[in-house]
Amino acid sequence: MLEVENLAKFFPGTPPRRVLDGISLALRAGEYVAIMGESGSGKSTLLNLIAGLDTPDRGGIVLDGVRIDQLDDAARTRLRRARMGFVFQAFHLLPHLSAEANVALPLALNGVRGAAAARRVEDMLDAVGMRASRHAASNRLSGGEMQRVAVARALVHRPRLVLADEPTGNLDAHAAGEVLALLRRQLKRDQAAGILVTHSEVAAGTADRIYLLGPDGLHLRSPQR
Amino acid sequence: MAPLLIDAALTGPLRQAPGRTGLAILAIALGVALGLAIHLINRSAADAISLAARSTYGLAHLAVEGGPQGFDEQLYPIIARVPGVEAASPVVVVQAKLAGRRGALKLYGMDAFRSRLLQPSFAPLTGAGTSGEGPFQAVDALYLSAAAARELEATEGAMKTLKFQVGLQTYRMRIAGVLPQAALEEPAGVMDIATAQWKFGKLGRLSRVDLRLADEADIAQVRKMLAQRLPDGVHVVEPGEAGEDALRLSRAYRSNLTALALVALFTGGFFIYSMQATTALRRRREFAILHALGVTRAQQLGLSLGGAAVVGVCGAVLGLLAGVAIAHAGLNTIGTDLGAGYGGSSGAQLRVRAVEWAVFAALGVFAAIAGALRPALESARIPTADALKSGDVASADPRTHAGMSGLLALSSLGALALPPLEGLPVPGYLAVALLLIAVVTAMPMLIRALVRRAPRMRALSFQLAFAQIGATARYASLSVASIVVSFSLMVSMAIMVTSFRSSLDRWTQQLLPADVYVAAGSAGQSGYFDESSALRLARLPGVERVEYSRSSQVSLAPRSPAVTLIARTLDPPRVQDALWLVESGRSARDAPVSGSQGAVAVWVNEAAADLYGLRPGESIEPLIGERRVETRVQGIWRDYAHPNGAIVMNREDYIRLTGDRSVNTVSVWAAEGVSPPRLQEDLRDSLPQAVELDVRLPGELRARTLAAFDRTFAVTYLLEFVAVCIGLFGIAAGISAQTLARRGEFGALRHLGMTRGQIGGMLAIEGAVLGMLGVLAGLVAGAAVSLILIYVVNRQSFHWSMDLFVPARWLAILSSTLVLISALIAVAAGRRAMGRDAVQAVREDW
Repeated sequence: MLEVENLAKFFPGTPPRRVLDGISLALRAGEYVAIMGESGSGKSTLLNLIAGLDTPDRGGIVLDGVRIDQLDDAARTRLRRARMGFVFQAFHLLPHLSAEANVALPLALNGVRGAAAARRVEDMLDAVGMRASRHAASNRLSGGEMQRVAVARALVHRPRLVLADEPTGNLDAHAAGEVLALLRRQLKRDQAAGILVTHSEVAAGTADRIYLLGPDGLHLRSPQR
Repeated sequence: MAPLLIDAALTGPLRQAPGRTGLAILAIALGVALGLAIHLINRSAADAISLAARSTYGLAHLAVEGGPQGFDEQLYPIIARVPGVEAASPVVVVQAKLAGRRGALKLYGMDAFRSRLLQPSFAPLTGAGTSGEGPFQAVDALYLSAAAARELEATEGAMKTLKFQVGLQTYRMRIAGVLPQAALEEPAGVMDIATAQWKFGKLGRLSRVDLRLADEADIAQVRKMLAQRLPDGVHVVEPGEAGEDALRLSRAYRSNLTALALVALFTGGFFIYSMQATTALRRRREFAILHALGVTRAQQLGLSLGGAAVVGVCGAVLGLLAGVAIAHAGLNTIGTDLGAGYGGSSGAQLRVRAVEWAVFAALGVFAAIAGALRPALESARIPTADALKSGDVASADPRTHAGMSGLLALSSLGALALPPLEGLPVPGYLAVALLLIAVVTAMPMLIRALVRRAPRMRALSFQLAFAQIGATARYASLSVASIVVSFSLMVSMAIMVTSFRSSLDRWTQQLLPADVYVAAGSAGQSGYFDESSALRLARLPGVERVEYSRSSQVSLAPRSPAVTLIARTLDPPRVQDALWLVESGRSARDAPVSGSQGAVAVWVNEAAADLYGLRPGESIEPLIGERRVETRVQGIWRDYAHPNGAIVMNREDYIRLTGDRSVNTVSVWAAEGVSPPRLQEDLRDSLPQAVELDVRLPGELRARTLAAFDRTFAVTYLLEFVAVCIGLFGIAAGISAQTLARRGEFGALRHLGMTRGQIGGMLAIEGAVLGMLGVLAGLVAGAAVSLILIYVVNRQSFHWSMDLFVPARWLAILSSTLVLISALIAVAAGRRAMGRDAVQAVREDW
């Protein structure tokens, strides 16, 4: 479903700084992997490249047979809109929208409206345990609650791939555990692939496989489950 | 687009900052309202003037018109017999000076039976359709137009007679009736043509002949045939052209006022720009989230511009309603001339046309979208991956656009070299706009340079404030953009108006050297002194000496407005003392009063010099009486009284050319020991009752002139005030947006032990520094714009020059006030931001 082949990214400078080089990764539907690495190793850059928020200097990324790196920005955006979901460390909910409206946003972007959309949003809020707070302004929620809403938003439109960048970085251990379990459960239920970028061994432990990203590339650390 | 997406990216953010959104809507609304109101008042006036001018021609297809002096009535049968002419109606037009009251009433002397063929609505003049008598039963009968009856408060039955001054005599006419409004739209009277010729000294003269053509006649053909039969100075016009001529006088004033009104909209656009740019910086992460979720950059651009369009539409709707209300109020209180004294306030109706609604609504929406365009483009280009990183902040470094700023400044200079467009100073205004955009573009650079060079103080609040401004120079430059624009416009107007007023004051002092002035009607009016009456004044006890002046109207070119010819006592070596010469030829300075080679020496005012391209040493041939007289321009003089042009010649030359010894104004010098007020009283006693009002001391004339000036500029002061208010909105919105975004910082400072007072002090310093930067840039830009207004826009619009005077004290007061207001706004915004718990503030994610 996702194939990353010999990916390289350099940041401008004299000489250009190598951030990623020779990165390859393959993911099937329903697979959930974690990528760990030191700060500055290029974890977030890899995620941005896969998401189509940035373009590689070399190599290719194929999602469901589509070469993401060869699309223009608008096409990448449409692909991301339809087939990807995101969970961020800083939650990134829209502050002026309610929890419910934040979750409904990807559906609206994908043209899903009316009763079908409302039902799906309700299901997702149920699934993440946020139904009671559906009308709350997003900036009134606690960190854990915000991230639950963010997970619901990432999955509401049934994406093929979910990218999570340090989703528990701003949460306490209890809330982090809840969110990670929720994320895994939802990914498996929807048969979506997931990539979790994290520094946390505990968080990485919830994934099917763990990869280490270092100066010499991306390596599988150990089989997990 | 999905309603939720629209709410997420467009209406939600507008709702989230209701204060800023409200101010933006208000800024656009004010701009639209003022622009529309001024336009509607001007257009209503133009319609009324045009309709009034047109209505005097009735059903005429063509009219034969003479210059200011008219033409010999022997021409009438020649005109009437031209093939194709079905009916011809002779007309005498008189500016009849009202006796015992200020001003004159235009009187049309008409042949009642002939005019009826062209003016069916004049039926009452012949008695047809009325039970009353027609004018031909009584020579002293006068019919007033409805507008004149209103202005003179002479509705039927209320006033029985009206007195006119002819020479120094009083002629009483009986008001026989009031014409229907549609018969004659302008304030005027209609009387019998023979009586008009007899009583107003126009025997054997006609002003025009109105012509109705046969159905099968070709207008162009008849016009051509008529032109072949007409002497020099007499021409054929179509009635529509008369409306255009009538509008020409006030066109420059009205155009300039409309331009000034649109400045408020221009400032509103800048306000939107600064607001949207600040918002774009603050919402950087929000835009990135939307992009990450799948909103394309084109959609983002559309949504940002959509937000601006919503503001524009709301502002435009409010502005249109307010504009119509202001126009209604303006028409009912200050009249269609907006206090300028151009007249035409009667009978103006306010009807808003669909195209006017559409154009001004579009202007409002356009200003909002234009202001938002650049910030929206920047928002759509935000690097999503960077903006989503934890701790990412938009670069607050100012983007310097030295090249762009320089290019705009150069373009502004280039625009100044262009000639006026259709007589209007469009390139001048373009230069002003380009210059202001250049200054705004240069602001980031200026702020950075100024903050670097600012003196440092040890107080913590001061240091923090400067560190903040230095670190957020980009936000700072956006906050001050609209105040720079509005304040510079206010400064420029203040310098221009002060320069104009001071120059006008000096001009009146130079042109009024005598102790008392006695006037018996101005150029073209029926009041005048005959020579013996004028000489009698010179012989009165207490009079040391007198000078005489005769004003009449002459034509310099066919179809051009009449130029005032002033024949006055001139002492050749001391012309510079009598006239404010701004240019005189080397040879002209030593020339005899009667020019060489038989040419008569004349001095033209700046308007005549500009309009007819005249320079010292050049010849012109004004039509004086019925003949062209060769004259040579000796010099050009400054004049604020005759925008259509004026020519001064020695009275002796004038008498030699015309035989006209009558006088309009007598300048009287008091003998030693005689006080001017006493002499004024004596002169009043010696004159007939009718001219009593026109014996004036120079101080009175000067005060009247300056009062008229202030009345004219009252509307401009209002427009400037509104522009500055919109500018203050900009600084208020910018500062408060930044301050609210810094709640976390204030919370941290409070945690570190800073008191609310210290933080307030820091904000006051920040606000004051920002205000000061705006004021300094505004002063410099305003000074430059004032030079464009004084030396280009005014010269091209009104053809008069002025000296530069700077109202330093007033500008100092205004600058200090703005700096103070900026500081207060910052403190008020800070109070709001600090109103929440400090602990909560540092934990807030948003």
